[in-house]
Amino acid sequence: MEAMRLAGRLIVENGGEIYRVEETITRMGRAFGLEEVESFSVPSGVFISFSTPDGGSECSVTRVHKGATDLNRVDQVNAVSRRVEAGELTSEQALKALQDIVNGRRLPWYLLIPAAGLCAAGFAAMFNGGIPEITAAFAAGALVQGFATLLERRGLHSFVSLLLCGFLSTVIPLLLTLIWPDLALDAAVGAALMPMLPGLAMTNAVQDTIRGDLMSGLGHGIQALLTAAFIAGGAAAGTALWALLRRGALL
Amino acid sequence: MVMDALRALLSAFFGTLGFAILLQAPRRSWIPASGIGAVSFFLYWLLCLIIPESLALFCGAAVGAALAQVCARKMRMISTVFHTMAIVAFVPGLALYRLMAQAAVGEYSSAAHFGVSAMISIAMIALGSSVGSHLSRRRKHT
Repeated sequence: MEAMRLAGRLIVENGGEIYRVEETITRMGRAFGLEEVESFSVPSGVFISFSTPDGGSECSVTRVHKGATDLNRVDQVNAVSRRVEAGELTSEQALKALQDIVNGRRLPWYLLIPAAGLCAAGFAAMFNGGIPEITAAFAAGALVQGFATLLERRGLHSFVSLLLCGFLSTVIPLLLTLIWPDLALDAAVGAALMPMLPGLAMTNAVQDTIRGDLMSGLGHGIQALLTAAFIAGGAAAGTALWALLRRGALL
Repeated sequence: MVMDALRALLSAFFGTLGFAILLQAPRRSWIPASGIGAVSFFLYWLLCLIIPESLALFCGAAVGAALAQVCARKMRMISTVFHTMAIVAFVPGLALYRLMAQAAVGEYSSAAHFGVSAMISIAMIALGSSVGSHLSRRRKHT
């Protein structure tokens, strides 16, 4: 049971799909020799049940708090489940392998900062931006990622962090208009916001719904809407502050 | 025209590569996943020249999702890694930003226009990637 719980928790926590959680748990349970293994998962929890040899049943509920997306961990959990299914790992060995994943190293923060910059710069080029827009988007994307890492280390709530990052993503390109007055703000700010925007979450929510995972689709949809609202709040505050400063001729 | 095509291909490649690192995809998937993102976005860009944008989005996402399934099987990795990167370039970030910007200054009808446009894009991407995945999926553990 422990190995199945941990596998399910790890997949949800690190951004795996709900169908994958349920499939992984069911496959692992059957491979461990359990009967009538059932799993139900939502973005905030994992439920597992199976029948015991004496005719009874056991069930477990695991509350999950979603963290940052780490597809490498989801892939590693999947690899463990494959090995369990192939009969290469016992439940104890699987649990040990999953605990090793929990204790494994993530990508270092200093790699994520230029990655966010690269991502934003790529999207600025995609939005028909020129060199100034690409540079502004790179700077804003990288700085915002650095700021987000700092906030995460301080334990600041993710939605507050989104609000502040949305603000910063707007203000940095706006400040850069002092150097490049013709900077296309649409391309620069839009691209700087791309690493944070919940477009992918919204797409996943629609896909979950199409697949029949209505609860998960609804949960992901609400999460995406809230994320967009907080980023919008930050971006709106940045634009309003800039307009205020310009009117006051402070800049 | 050639320069625009090159811009579409390269911008999608590097944008997707940045996302792959940010989402902490396995290292050996970075280049192939970015390649799939670039190819599917390039296809969307080409199709936009001859068919409506929403249909081009559907086709681009479907091809991207199909390529993602194939690549996941070849590399024995979860399809999520490639599937996510295949559609990330289509995400209507600019429309969502414009929706927010217009709503923030009280231009609600303009914001609604961008909102509807973003929603249609999201629905077409989701439909396209679902169709692409189903057409190329085998009953295997990917």
